[in-house]
Amino acid sequence: MSEVRIQQVTPNLSTQKPRRSFLNKIGFGFLYLLLGTFAIIQIYPLVWLVFFSLKTNKEVFGMSPFSLPQSPQWENYTKAWTSGNIGVYFFNSVWITVLSVVLTIILASFVTFAVTRMNWKLSGPVLGLFLVAYMIPLHSTLIPLFKMYNSANLIDNPLSIVLSYTAFNLPLTIMILLGFYKTFPREIEEAAVMDGCSVHRIFFQITLPMTVPVLSTTAIINMIYNWNEFVFVNTFISSDKWKTLTVGINNFVGQYLTDWGAIGATLVISIVPILLAFLFLSDKIVEGMAAGSVKG
Amino acid sequence: MKKKAFATVMSMALAGGLILGGCSSSDETAKDSSGSSSDKTVVKMMHLWPEGSSNAQFTIVDDIIKAYEEENPDVDIQTEILGNEQYKEKIKVLSASNELPDVGITWAAGYMKPFVDGNMFAPLDDIVEKDKFVAGTLDAFSVEEKPYALPLELNITPVYYNKEIFEKYNLEAPKTYDEFLNVVETLVDNGVTPITLGNKDRWTGSMWYMYLADRIGGPESLNNAINRTGSFEDPALVKAAEEIENLVNMDAFVKGFNGLSNDEAKGYFMNEQAAMYLMATWELPNYTTSPDVDQEFKDKIGYFKFPTYEGGKGDIDSYVGGPGVGLFVSEQSKVKDEAKEFVSYLVDEWGKRSVVDAGVIPATVVDTSAGDLHPMYIDILNDLGNASNLTLYADVQMSAGVADVHLNQIQALFGGQTTPEEFTKTQEEALAAEK
Amino acid sequence: MKTVMSNKFAIALYTLPALLLILVLIYIPIALSGYYGLMDWDGIGEMTFIGLDNYITLIQDKLFWSSTWHSFLLAIFSTASLLLYLAISLVLASKIKGSDLLRKIYLIPMLLSSVAIAQLWMKIFDPTNGMANKLLEFFGVENTPIWLADPKIALYAIFIPIIWQYAGFYILIYYAALKNVPDEVIEAAKIDGASPFQIAYKIKLPLISGVFKVTIMLAVVGSLKYFDLIYVMTGGGPNGASEVMASYMYKEAFKLNNFGYGSAIGFGLLVICLLMTWLTSQLTKSKDDVQF
Repeated sequence: MSEVRIQQVTPNLSTQKPRRSFLNKIGFGFLYLLLGTFAIIQIYPLVWLVFFSLKTNKEVFGMSPFSLPQSPQWENYTKAWTSGNIGVYFFNSVWITVLSVVLTIILASFVTFAVTRMNWKLSGPVLGLFLVAYMIPLHSTLIPLFKMYNSANLIDNPLSIVLSYTAFNLPLTIMILLGFYKTFPREIEEAAVMDGCSVHRIFFQITLPMTVPVLSTTAIINMIYNWNEFVFVNTFISSDKWKTLTVGINNFVGQYLTDWGAIGATLVISIVPILLAFLFLSDKIVEGMAAGSVKG
Repeated sequence: MKKKAFATVMSMALAGGLILGGCSSSDETAKDSSGSSSDKTVVKMMHLWPEGSSNAQFTIVDDIIKAYEEENPDVDIQTEILGNEQYKEKIKVLSASNELPDVGITWAAGYMKPFVDGNMFAPLDDIVEKDKFVAGTLDAFSVEEKPYALPLELNITPVYYNKEIFEKYNLEAPKTYDEFLNVVETLVDNGVTPITLGNKDRWTGSMWYMYLADRIGGPESLNNAINRTGSFEDPALVKAAEEIENLVNMDAFVKGFNGLSNDEAKGYFMNEQAAMYLMATWELPNYTTSPDVDQEFKDKIGYFKFPTYEGGKGDIDSYVGGPGVGLFVSEQSKVKDEAKEFVSYLVDEWGKRSVVDAGVIPATVVDTSAGDLHPMYIDILNDLGNASNLTLYADVQMSAGVADVHLNQIQALFGGQTTPEEFTKTQEEALAAEK
Repeated sequence: MKTVMSNKFAIALYTLPALLLILVLIYIPIALSGYYGLMDWDGIGEMTFIGLDNYITLIQDKLFWSSTWHSFLLAIFSTASLLLYLAISLVLASKIKGSDLLRKIYLIPMLLSSVAIAQLWMKIFDPTNGMANKLLEFFGVENTPIWLADPKIALYAIFIPIIWQYAGFYILIYYAALKNVPDEVIEAAKIDGASPFQIAYKIKLPLISGVFKVTIMLAVVGSLKYFDLIYVMTGGGPNGASEVMASYMYKEAFKLNNFGYGSAIGFGLLVICLLMTWLTSQLTKSKDDVQF
């Protein structure tokens, strides 16, 4: 944010003097150079990962990370897909992630709405409870949760995972939603109240649609967290039929030998769905804002 | 409304997932043959050989289970398989909640002791046949003469080396430590990394130290320090630390070793960027039978025993090594007898198959005459038979807390952050502080 | 109107499910964690009640405080990096060409699991074959650092992937917040002759200050309890040089069989997070949110 000038793209509003256009171009060029470099830094890992998945164990080590695989080991992919139950893991990852994300978003929206829009004395403390819940380190909860689920006979039941993900993502989601809810003006809701709408109508038909962009944002965040989560699945699930992709990756980390190519292939396989979902959802953010921004 | 579309898609995915989950779970049930309708005794077993990474061991265990179930149709063995680190973490959680599996994997000595003290492992003296095991392996899994786990693996640690690199600089496998230093110097002078070491994991450096301690002071020096009949500040132990310092200052080890994991360090050796690698015999498949490694490379690799030290008390047939993992039976198990029977069977069968099928040396005595083993295996097994002593890895012998001090000190010593005197003093204090 | 918005039944309906979830699944474990902290327990055998001994040891534990300091440093660097992400988001949210594509690309590392990120960066930091040193050598540096093996720089070296990992996360939030600023306000300002800088500084920033404050809190607490990459990439080493509170807790509880003490550390972490949050909120307190 230094001497760079951002050129107005709505030229009918500005009056650009011709002699500044050269400087502008340089500034612009410089800006794009920075942005482009950053883009390369961000996309490189994905490229690297694909190369990585096609290498043999030997190539993974000695050669530079830039190097292309000498002969692409597509077998790594077949190996990843066939040994172990990747198909099962895949589906588990999908439905557990989706269910948890949906639950989290709905519950979080309820809470944030109640806390920011409704009048009650305890709203502060309740919000505080959610904030403090964010601060607990994950591993502190492993053994207590295991014991609890065990007595409730929920060990080796994916429900334990869904509930855990929802609970642990609620604080973060609420905090993000909170930041956004505060910027939405209240006039619309106040108008609706005067029109005689019930609380529920206000929430579902007015507030919720306004928040679609931020809901998509939190959906992405939650989705990524759940999809890549590992510790809970490893601890609470024992049967193969309920395991998720992240656990499947560890199928290839041995006691003494690690099959890096297969791990790479599994990582690529596991990133594809989430990449697609991400692209889909992030468009929603933009659409949502274009269509749903506050007008009058 | 977009929200509706979103929700619909989600519910469809959810429904789809549940259906598929249901379908595959019924497939699984058919595969597992975990018929809840039959009256089979279920024995739950957890091990750490996933099909993907440890295919050989996985297959052996799988075959053994199938054979056992055939001979004992009223028993059903169910397995949960995890990778190494995940296994350790989960066992912790399970033991804290008293939910250990009927049969599981454990490590020896210091790792195992808290489980024995906490009454988590069942004593196995009623099923063990002592002479079947290599001398000393059972002891590592025993507390007060009673075995609480049966060892499955045995490893010693030779120094693997790249014969081609040695030949290039006219070097021969060293027999004495002075010859070894000469090798190191020559390689350094020629810009070749002499030794690869992944000391981020710390136990790798510990093995180097242990060998020097053994060669200088004899096996008693370290053992006595640990079992408290001696002191860690024994001059031999200090000297060993000085020699490590010396090696580091000679640039004997690969650059940045304190930040490399064993796996990463191994890569240097496998890529012929380093000449020597001190590691256990579990690496043998990589130099003998593994299909994933080039035959050309495998032909270049040999091993030598850690050289003797001028004026030192340790002989060349004394090794750092010992049993690897073993099998335990949970004391809380409701099917203890069946579990014990199964364990006994497994250890037996494992011993017969592990060398040929997995390249793993079992803790049971192996008959080298039968079958055709790769020559390196035969050599190793013969050396093992002639071993004068096996010193169990220090960090396994020690309790977890002291082991951590030891390992941290190793990292500090190798990293030049502590002196040999401080190194031994700190560990002596830690050992003395233990009850 | 007030009565509609004070509908107690609705309030309960809306908050109880979520509240219940976190009370059961988070607060009970927190309480149990504090409780275990009062015990001498190796996680396997019997527990012995020892009162506040663990907590007293904790306060005098040098390793704990050095790990706390490391966590603090991470929090400071993370918060500082927020400014960079904010700047990037400002650029992305303005209508320059290609912002859409760039936005999507910038967020890609967010999708990677910690496993992948750890592998990537460990390769980059490899002292002999890694990209970092190869780049330095290209520019003529002779004695290239050994990164994760060097106790003096391991901590800072590992901050790089951690902070990089979260770039997408914050850019995403800021972008959404910035896009939320109504176009009319910006147009009005442009008509008034405001430069892009003035628009950014005096209009956009204040309007997203609520969100920004939330991200500060997220960055601070998230850093204090961070675990993943530290554990996988350095294990807290060499010799504790990169240990943070969460990795120290994990080590004590899960590796060294000091479960009681480990629980106390976890509880200590919680308390420190609370303190820091309170402090941060005090420091970022301002007048209430801007109304249009």
